[in-house]
Amino acid sequence: MYKSWWKIMGSVLVIYTTIGGLLLGVPRLAILNETIRNLYFHVPMWFGMLTLFSISVWYSIKYLLSTNQTDDLKAVESVNVGIVFSLLGLVTGSIWAKFTWGQYWSFDVKQNFTAIAILLYFAYLVLRNSIDEEQKRAKISAIYNIFAFPMMVVLIMVLPRLQDSLHPGNGGNPGFNSYDLDSRMRAVLYPAFLGWSIIGYWIYTIRFRIRSLEIKDNS
Amino acid sequence: MQFANEVKYLLYKEILLEWRSKYAINGMLLYVVSTIFVCFISFVTMENKITWNALFWIIMLFAAINGVSKSFLQESKGRQLYSYIIASPAAIILAKTIYNILMMVILTTIALGVYIIVFSYSPSDFLLFYIAVILGSLSFSTIFTMVSAIATKAGNGGMLMAVLSFPLIIPVLIVLIKLSKNAIDGLDRSVSLDEIGILLLINVMTVTASLILFPYLWKD
Amino acid sequence: MKKIIIAFLLWINSVSVFAQDNGIEMADTLRSNGKIYVVVVCIVIILAGLLGYLFSLDRRLKKLEKK
Repeated sequence: MYKSWWKIMGSVLVIYTTIGGLLLGVPRLAILNETIRNLYFHVPMWFGMLTLFSISVWYSIKYLLSTNQTDDLKAVESVNVGIVFSLLGLVTGSIWAKFTWGQYWSFDVKQNFTAIAILLYFAYLVLRNSIDEEQKRAKISAIYNIFAFPMMVVLIMVLPRLQDSLHPGNGGNPGFNSYDLDSRMRAVLYPAFLGWSIIGYWIYTIRFRIRSLEIKDNS
Repeated sequence: MQFANEVKYLLYKEILLEWRSKYAINGMLLYVVSTIFVCFISFVTMENKITWNALFWIIMLFAAINGVSKSFLQESKGRQLYSYIIASPAAIILAKTIYNILMMVILTTIALGVYIIVFSYSPSDFLLFYIAVILGSLSFSTIFTMVSAIATKAGNGGMLMAVLSFPLIIPVLIVLIKLSKNAIDGLDRSVSLDEIGILLLINVMTVTASLILFPYLWKD
Repeated sequence: MKKIIIAFLLWINSVSVFAQDNGIEMADTLRSNGKIYVVVVCIVIILAGLLGYLFSLDRRLKKLEKK
């Protein structure tokens, strides 16, 4: 965790995708115009969120097996950072929607479902706040986290595919794969997923370190 | 075999206790029927079938939250200790879930009958609608049973129950409403296979997750 | 005071009338140049969000260091 080669890698990837995302060629599409470049910035936020929530579930499982308090801390802190990423994804998404679909909130299934998924994690935080006893709080919230995670996956990965959506790849709309020149976009998009996930992980480790210092300080 | 016996015994005990007082089922029935009457009095006729559908599921949702959350919240400490001694935690959650499923199926069937009679409208593909209702009571029971166990252990009853269960139940509700809308429109049944599959998948997922997680929740 | 407010309101009113005269050309700056500025806004939001988050973390760390 304290080595820094992966932090440099993440930064390089993010810088590369920012420059490449703004300068490299993209398909010419009506309505979308240049905003298609938002794909390199908006979608990686969701990817970062998913990475962080997966880390959180992983540590919740570990907590149930080990009842080690640091595992619980890791689970909470990654949820906290994941929520920041999800909010950023929601805001950038709604701005993009305003200038392509016409409204900030277009009642698109994916928008609605991700909002519900965020509620799920707010419920997790509310649950944590409602219990005072430390061990009990860690255990119960870990159980709720694991119980809720598959539901969130269904919510944002499976359900939108059943319904019509303005997002590409859902319902009747073609996926980005069907646009030509996709290999050119992939060269930026996949590094962006990786880069932003690493940045999210980095922020989470910082939060975790601060939190464990605080706890050491208080005890 | 021991596990099956434990489940059977616990289930028998639940049903026996309910049968003696008939408090939960009567209370829920009264709640559902009076809500339907209130809706009828305020709407009188309902031209819009989408409203008809949505209203039904909203009534069912609140009945389920009230009814199923009782399963753990209203259990005395002594009874919890008793079942803790005689059975394994997985058996307890399974018995509770099955009991809730039975109760919800009976309740929703009666409620659907009353609803259809009061509004004098029946969906064009009744069998499919009934399948949706059965699947609905199945998913409500499996999800709410586990969430009520979590809320009870957190020791902050009703309020927490609503906060924790709504985000979990909304995806199920969306699929249910879509499925029952297909039934109302009388679409070909092959169209609805996706939704039925997803609902079954969600139920299998929740039951497995409850069976694995509940033992951790149960031991103090 | 009242007069000033009324004058101000009238002035605002006249400005909006002028704006309507311009018509057609709407407040569309974000839509010009192939909407590239929408992308800029999104990048700025992400950066501002993450930087703001870093600042709040920094404050927490400072509190710790002071102890």
